[in-house]
Amino acid sequence: MAKKSNSLTYEVVKGLWNENPVLIQLLGLCPTLAVTNSAVNGVAMGLATTFVLLCSSILISVIRKIIPAQVRIASYIVVIATFVTVVDKFLAAYTPDISKALGAFIPLIVVNCLILGRQEAFASKNNVGRSILDGIGMGIGFTWVLTLLGMIRELLGEGSIFAISIMPESFNTWLVMILPPGAFLTLGIFIGLSNWINERRVN
Amino acid sequence: MEEKVIKNDVKVKPKKNPKDKLFKLDRQPLIISSSPHLNTTDSVPKIMWTVIIALLPAVVLSIYYFGLPALWMMSTCVISAGLAECLMNKLKGEEFTIPDGSAVITGLLLAMTLPPSFTLTSAIIGTVFAIVIGKHIFGGLGFNIFNPALLGRAFLQACFPVAITTWTFPKTDVYLSKIVDGVTAATPLGLFKFEGETSDLFNMFWGNIGGSLGETSAISIIIGGGFLLIKKYADWRIPVSYLGTVFLFGAIMWWINPKYPDPTFHLLSGGLMLGAFFMATDMVTSPITPKGAWIFGIGAGILLVVIRLFGGLPEGVMYSILLMNAVTPLINRYTRPKFFGEGSK
Amino acid sequence: MKTSAKMIIVLTVIATLSGGILSFWNGITAPKIKENRLKVLKKAISTVLPKYDNYEELKLSEEITLYIGKTLKEETVGFAFKAKGNGFSPDLTLMVGILPDFSALTGIEILEQTETPGLGNKIEDDEFREQFVGLLMGIEPNIAVVKNRKPKNPQKGIQALSGATISSKAVVFIIIEQVKIVQNLYNQKMAGI
Repeated sequence: MAKKSNSLTYEVVKGLWNENPVLIQLLGLCPTLAVTNSAVNGVAMGLATTFVLLCSSILISVIRKIIPAQVRIASYIVVIATFVTVVDKFLAAYTPDISKALGAFIPLIVVNCLILGRQEAFASKNNVGRSILDGIGMGIGFTWVLTLLGMIRELLGEGSIFAISIMPESFNTWLVMILPPGAFLTLGIFIGLSNWINERRVN
Repeated sequence: MEEKVIKNDVKVKPKKNPKDKLFKLDRQPLIISSSPHLNTTDSVPKIMWTVIIALLPAVVLSIYYFGLPALWMMSTCVISAGLAECLMNKLKGEEFTIPDGSAVITGLLLAMTLPPSFTLTSAIIGTVFAIVIGKHIFGGLGFNIFNPALLGRAFLQACFPVAITTWTFPKTDVYLSKIVDGVTAATPLGLFKFEGETSDLFNMFWGNIGGSLGETSAISIIIGGGFLLIKKYADWRIPVSYLGTVFLFGAIMWWINPKYPDPTFHLLSGGLMLGAFFMATDMVTSPITPKGAWIFGIGAGILLVVIRLFGGLPEGVMYSILLMNAVTPLINRYTRPKFFGEGSK
Repeated sequence: MKTSAKMIIVLTVIATLSGGILSFWNGITAPKIKENRLKVLKKAISTVLPKYDNYEELKLSEEITLYIGKTLKEETVGFAFKAKGNGFSPDLTLMVGILPDFSALTGIEILEQTETPGLGNKIEDDEFREQFVGLLMGIEPNIAVVKNRKPKNPQKGIQALSGATISSKAVVFIIIEQVKIVQNLYNQKMAGI
């Protein structure tokens, strides 16, 4: 239920930190861990997810009153799958390299709990305006975490950020960072840090 | 072990004069710590510094065989381990724990598992990882699940898989007199796995082979390890069951198919000696019950032979011990002695 | 009854609309995707074969298509084909170029791979792939995969990538295996004509 006290600005801002999908809600960890081996992949995944999230939120918010409760999950999934396929085809047609790098993880956005979670928890209970703001906020919150993860992993694992070499020649790349364990390590440290910051803010 | 100290106020009788001697005795802090509540006169620092003394023969021999680079490597690791420890103490707002010697051991053990040609900056990364992630993130000494030195080594293995498996021959190698410094060589295990060559057991015993700093010389580690066992600072059951299992299982495999190396080769090669005496016996990360120690050693031994013979890597000491570290809490749980009077079901 | 009817109607409408949108979108993107695939294929063929002017396709079996590179004078410069197999990870696909008499390789290109980043995926590097140019195949190919040094005879050996011996060996193995299969199929096809 949307609290009446939530201002419109808060609907956007909450996704950035206070209710960040990755750091706080721990939603959508599969793509977070799997594709963030470079900054570009992180951005692409974040934007693709944001697009799907935003479009699905709008549509579902519009039709929320005509969907019978019994088939709501099925309807959400069909809507989400449609948008995911649109993104998938778009990437394959116009950015084949990114499409190849992200591979199966674009179609897998369908089952990203972040998107279904927001539909169930927010878009199906709020008007279109708020759903748009929520979608944008959550999408940006997801994107920045993925991008930062990708940047750190690429910097340590390849010595570059967005494929631009940053580290000196003599830098030995940390191979583990672009492998799956590196994703777990970095994400773990991220979540630990965010908890630490939140704790200090409370005290 | 981190101890929570609370004031024992309950026993204070209100009538007593605060300056009374008895009262002062009563005010001694009550120490609450997790089990086992064993009584011993040995303090953590005493044990740790004894372990360091036990490592000295291996340290001396590795400097003899690999020269100054070995010394640099070991001092770099020890110093960076100390600095990382201080940093974490500072961040956590606790007392400095350098004097307990555990950080020094972590640094030294990690250095001994690295090849002599490994770059010092990478070694620092591994040491900091071992101390910060391996120990302090879990809550400090006594709370770590995994042996910090091995965890640091595992991280380096994952980060720099090529550099960490590039070894140089010891400088005293007879063949090297003709060749310039820094000839890369495979370890006996690597030679066996990828080229099918065996190495001279005599050289392996004394340490005149390619390998990591502290793992080449079996004799020096046996001396140090034996000292630890005599002092009872290491549970003899762990090295005995670990080495025994490797020998037995290795012998069985060799008997089934002679293309596998013979059991003596298994015992003397790689970091097995170092791992068995100094890493598997780590008090924090190995089982506390005698039965558990046997299970721990046998499990590690089986894992080691399986990794060496069937795995993609030539060496498996590190992973065998780390994997057994992971199940140590379970082993402790299932080998827990029965309470007095607790009947069997 | 009323709710179930509503359920059916709503879901049907949503699914129909979704289908409509997707078929429309597919119509726009499909040609472009096809074009991308063709571009990748052409690029791979041109990498593995010596200079040619155009190529013909020859279907050898359900899975294997031979791309025959020809000059303007109708001289065959070499054959290219896709070779699939398993590396350290599954699903390693190569484009292999070979002389028309199947005697030596003219180059290889990695089309798809899921090898370990930083180690096994270096099979994509030019330095590794160029070792295969001129590699002798013959009837019983005898290719040595050596570590840490250059092979004694560059026409009969490959230097394995350090840290990725298994991936390096897999590439060699796939090539040897697939060349044999393709050669047999090709000879059968030629004999049949």
